[in-house]
Amino acid sequence: MHKQGYWGYIFTLPFLINILVFIVFPVGFSAYISFTRWDLFNPPEWVGLRNWIRVMEGREFWIGMRNVSVFALIFVPVQTLLAFGVAFLLNQAIKGKALWRLFYFLPVITPWLAGGVVWYWMFNYQYGVINWLLGGVGLSPIKWVDSPNWLVVVSSIALVNVWKGLGQSMIILLAGMQNVPKEVLESSQIDGATGWKQLTKIVFPIVTPMVFLVMILSTIAAFHAFDVFLALFGSITAGIPERNVVPNLIIYRDAFLLFKMGPASAAAWLLFVIVLIITLFQKYFEKRWVHYD
Amino acid sequence: MTKTTPFGLKVLIYVLLLAGAIVMMFPFVWMLSTSFKTLGAVAQMPPQLIPNPFSFDNYAEVWNKVEFGRYTFNSFFIVTFEMVGSLLSCAFVAFGLAMYKFKLRGLIYAFMLATLLIPGQITMIPTYFIWKEFNVLNTYVPLIAPSFFAGAFGIFLLHQYIKSLPKELYESAVIDGCSPPGIFFRIYLPLCKPALAALGIFTFMGAWNNTLGPLIYLQDRSMYTLPLGLLYLKNESSINQAVIMAGAVITTTPVVIVYLIAQKQFVQGIASTGLKG
Repeated sequence: MHKQGYWGYIFTLPFLINILVFIVFPVGFSAYISFTRWDLFNPPEWVGLRNWIRVMEGREFWIGMRNVSVFALIFVPVQTLLAFGVAFLLNQAIKGKALWRLFYFLPVITPWLAGGVVWYWMFNYQYGVINWLLGGVGLSPIKWVDSPNWLVVVSSIALVNVWKGLGQSMIILLAGMQNVPKEVLESSQIDGATGWKQLTKIVFPIVTPMVFLVMILSTIAAFHAFDVFLALFGSITAGIPERNVVPNLIIYRDAFLLFKMGPASAAAWLLFVIVLIITLFQKYFEKRWVHYD
Repeated sequence: MTKTTPFGLKVLIYVLLLAGAIVMMFPFVWMLSTSFKTLGAVAQMPPQLIPNPFSFDNYAEVWNKVEFGRYTFNSFFIVTFEMVGSLLSCAFVAFGLAMYKFKLRGLIYAFMLATLLIPGQITMIPTYFIWKEFNVLNTYVPLIAPSFFAGAFGIFLLHQYIKSLPKELYESAVIDGCSPPGIFFRIYLPLCKPALAALGIFTFMGAWNNTLGPLIYLQDRSMYTLPLGLLYLKNESSINQAVIMAGAVITTTPVVIVYLIAQKQFVQGIASTGLKG
């Protein structure tokens, strides 16, 4: 560590500017805007709590919250469980590990829009390959993302999200499993621990910090979901039925299609506070099942 | 599991992995397959896995008529600038944090964490306002310029790496009469290659896959990036699914190639930080 401190300021100047211009100012300004009526072009007009009240008393934001909550409740456990399973299998003495990993990881790097249009096409009611496969085993076709039932729509999109995100959780969990000492596994085998016992009594407890990390990250991502809904609904300019909205779509629409910056900012802050509470809640229950030693 | 794994269990492992891999890979197979189908074959039931007749018309249409050639260029243009900006600025800032003692250092660390926690939907509107005031809406400036001011994730990655390098490097360079910028550009920057490679891939993926940024800032269709081009195609009801799939193949192929070249750095980056770009 060197004493000429001024060089420290010179080297970190880009980030100092970044903090001021792209963090401090936007956070403060966004908080202010949430109490104003503003269309981006005329001066903001102070309206007190009106935007907040309108967002909280309106139906739409809470329908959006319901949808992302159900989305998270399906997507997070399913993805974490499957990612854990695949990571456990890939951690065995098998051939072609890099290739297997590639298969599971490819969706992670695929642009959302590309993945989205393919799933939209596979979900097609009449010509979609998924309904054709269902027909093959004698099931009747499903309307998936075009369904009038929001639960079907949200579940379908959650499954697409599992496809997209599984590889990333898998890589983190796999890194955790590779930290499990070989000697521990071998000695447990001598003691007669079979595959299942080994998994639940040794491997799982050791990787719980990674499982926790994966669940926190995917929960936050679920509540901020935007790309996946955009990709599967497509035209937000044409309007999305109220039953299918999510908070980030509402915020985007209010801000950049309707130029209602006040309600958009209030909704953005409300979403932030709710996600923060959920994350703290998860953190609170962490010590019940996560082992750090 | 050791060599004692029974044969039956091994078969089960491969069967499970294969079943999962088929589900994961199927959308890619279907994307490719549909992209080579003619209009008649797209609506054909039962659907064909291998298109017959095999047609390249969709690619010609999407590349020329819907300007995907142009969108590909635009995407590469933006990604290149973002990579240069992000690699240079993150290394620059990480070097300063790792090498010098100064008052605001602790505060900068705190802000690095804070920037990772503050969601984009909060900063999005004021940032848009800044670029509007600079009169650069509907240009690439709002997409490219921020990358020149160092992101927290990149600084974190390079900071860890620079700290792992021997301290004597700096001392001996000072004795040789090298100035701090000289030390950074001539000694540390070249040494950071492995960490820069990892950050480079993350930046590439993040910039290539970015939807929200271009969606907010770009209005002219000739300015679109590939993901925006796809969104546009999807909203045009007159466009055939096979053409959209050809567009999706064009959008996906470059990232897959980059990933295949650099998968080691990428996977290590995710495993060690838990984050993606």
